[in-house]
Amino acid sequence: MSTVNTLLTYEGIPIWRHVRVIQWMLQIVSAIVIVALLAWFFTNIGNAVQDRDIPFGFTFLDREYQTPIGEHFIPYDSSDTFRYAMFVAVTNTLLVAVLGVIAATALGVVIGVARLSSNWILSKVALVYIEFFRNVPLLVQLLFWLFIVLALPPVRRGFEIADSIYINNAGISFPGPNSGGSFSMTLIWVAMIALGIALGVVAHKLLSKRELVSGRASYPVAAGFAVAAGVAALSWLALAAVGDAPMIVTSPEPAGRFGRIAGGVTIRAGLLILLIGLVIYTAAFIAEIVRAGIQSVGRGQVEAARAMGLSPMQALRHVTFPQALRVIIPPLISQCLNLTKNSSLGGAVGYTDLTNVGITMTQTAPAVSIFLLIMLAYLAMSLAWSVTGNLYNRYISFERR
Amino acid sequence: MASNFDTTAILPPPRSETGALGWARANLFSTPFNSALTGISLAALTFALVFGLRWVVFSADWSVVATVGHRFVIGSYNSDQACPGNNCFWRPQASLLLVTLLMGMAWGVARAGLVRRIAILTAVVAALFALLPYSMDRMGMDVRLLLAANLLTLGAGWALGRYTPFGSTRAIAITSVVFFALTIALMLGFRIGDSNWLQPVDVRHWGGLTLNLILAVAGITLSLPIGIALALGRRSRLPVLKVVCVTFIEVLRGVPLITLLFMSQHIVPLAFPDTFPRNSLLNAGIVITLFSSAYMAENIRGGLQALHPGQAEAARALGLPGWQTMLLISLPQAIRNVIPAIVGQFIGLFKDTSLVYIIGMLDMVEVGRTTITGRPEYQGTAQEMFVFIAIVFWIFTYGMSYISRRVERNLGVGER
Repeated sequence: MSTVNTLLTYEGIPIWRHVRVIQWMLQIVSAIVIVALLAWFFTNIGNAVQDRDIPFGFTFLDREYQTPIGEHFIPYDSSDTFRYAMFVAVTNTLLVAVLGVIAATALGVVIGVARLSSNWILSKVALVYIEFFRNVPLLVQLLFWLFIVLALPPVRRGFEIADSIYINNAGISFPGPNSGGSFSMTLIWVAMIALGIALGVVAHKLLSKRELVSGRASYPVAAGFAVAAGVAALSWLALAAVGDAPMIVTSPEPAGRFGRIAGGVTIRAGLLILLIGLVIYTAAFIAEIVRAGIQSVGRGQVEAARAMGLSPMQALRHVTFPQALRVIIPPLISQCLNLTKNSSLGGAVGYTDLTNVGITMTQTAPAVSIFLLIMLAYLAMSLAWSVTGNLYNRYISFERR
Repeated sequence: MASNFDTTAILPPPRSETGALGWARANLFSTPFNSALTGISLAALTFALVFGLRWVVFSADWSVVATVGHRFVIGSYNSDQACPGNNCFWRPQASLLLVTLLMGMAWGVARAGLVRRIAILTAVVAALFALLPYSMDRMGMDVRLLLAANLLTLGAGWALGRYTPFGSTRAIAITSVVFFALTIALMLGFRIGDSNWLQPVDVRHWGGLTLNLILAVAGITLSLPIGIALALGRRSRLPVLKVVCVTFIEVLRGVPLITLLFMSQHIVPLAFPDTFPRNSLLNAGIVITLFSSAYMAENIRGGLQALHPGQAEAARALGLPGWQTMLLISLPQAIRNVIPAIVGQFIGLFKDTSLVYIIGMLDMVEVGRTTITGRPEYQGTAQEMFVFIAIVFWIFTYGMSYISRRVERNLGVGER
């Protein structure tokens, strides 16, 4: 009797009532269930792959894709491999994500501030904007813009403004830098611009510190911009002296009999619609985030700033906004993430984003492998946004405590 | 006590500070900058209103909405392939009767307030649809009668809720589950002998707003409990459970829904033996629900984290076991505090039901798109079509956020 008791007890408690034993049993059972489920799924997939002769694996990545990609911003040719085509698709999605986030944040901040304006009409206009665009599915909005753009006249009979801006159902063309030279030169120049911006930020930091310490006006913002622009211009001149100029500002002109438009910058219809739709939709959410952030700053802060002689704009810029930013950043990151994921609707408006290219690829390559890669790509992008956002968040909360 | 003051000497505030004039001065023209803003907004507003109204009244051709009307509601449910004989239109309408009956019961229990207003509004709008001249050629009159009958069922439901044992919250909860199952059964149909008055309709042919609503209702009902379970799993001290929940949540949140839907149709079936039934509606429902529950889990986790630990400690000190502490103390407070986020997620889920086009289902948006692209005579009416669809979605989503704000006020969120 006593031996049984000692066998079935643990720290003096019957083992079926001991918390740690129960927890361990639960863990083991759940682990077994999950492993069994996964094993079952994978056996089934394996069987299906064998029975129905569905190809699986990643050897297709080295094959030629042999399908055109409607829009691409790095050189692409149908004879390129699947691997490279996938990369092109990722850059397409990244382009929309980055442009969209910048524009949506700008518009969202404006509307969020307008929502809190003391001006009754402006505030109500912002309210209507937010409540409408936030509550209508993005797909409906995208299709609305799509059919508006499709209803525009074709290229040959399109609108022309001052002989330099062309608007038609293929997109919009306006004067701007055209990557006339070689692609590698452009890449080098873009890298130099990034360097210039980094130097500009450093200059801004140093000068604003000097301004704080000495009290003399040091124009940190202007200096920062000047440094960035200077580096960009100098590197352009240097590259132009070495070989092809990387980018030349040209004006779009009709070329050829079919009214093709050459030169300048052309934003094609697919990208244009996707950006308009995503920006208008996401800006409504960001506006609400900005409003909540600004409202989270105590009234006393603004009143104190006004009492010290700051103008309403200055109070917003130097007192309210820096404090609101700490509340704004985390939900803003999740909106950036949402925008990136929502760009997967590009296929509905004729933009070749990652999901759209992936779906097309499944016609000539194993779907399971492709979607595994696509999921990994999206997860990586999500992670990138989170890391960037969290770093920025840490930076601002450290700066202003 | 006699006053020392001559009351007549106290002047009213100047005219310019009160009334409409004062209000305008304070809210529209307080500074030159503000005046400029007012001017610009007014100009833009007038332009938009004039332009918009001119379009709505004169240039827009709304006949497309009326002609496609029944397809907006049910997609190709009543088409020749789906329902030979085209006698299936009454079935979604009959499901609507169940909805108004349920709303009537809720009204009977709640007696007044928001529930009554919503119930009456729904039934009246449904009944008013009977007056619309939409093309119901082959079913004609009976469908209109069914629509008008919504008023009757509302009354019957109210009486049931008011005067019978059905009048309790619990009864309504059970009835709503039963009615949802009934709706699905009615929509699916089955053979009764030789007659085809309830002939089966394949889920591939379900569509229109009915599809959006069915997916949304199922998703909303299921994503909350699954989300709670995931949130608890993520906070669990058991490493295996925790790792599984975290992986599930993060993977689903990191991938676009449209990708998951496409996979559900083309890859997930591979993971099940061939004997498993293939059902696109079920696929879509499961994916939308799981996707939404991953977000829901994060909302609930936020609510649980914001809760003061003293609450759970006090409950434990009073002798409540762990699961009761969670169920009776922590969760109710956590959920109450994140109602806006949860309803936001519900709204997102409803909007996301429009993405089922990727697996070839004909939801309301896809009905609009295929009509525009498939029929040359409607090509010029895309704006009318999508404005109409946008307004229908907006009514539902804005209604949801309105109800959530009312519920929040009733629960006193942020006040205690």
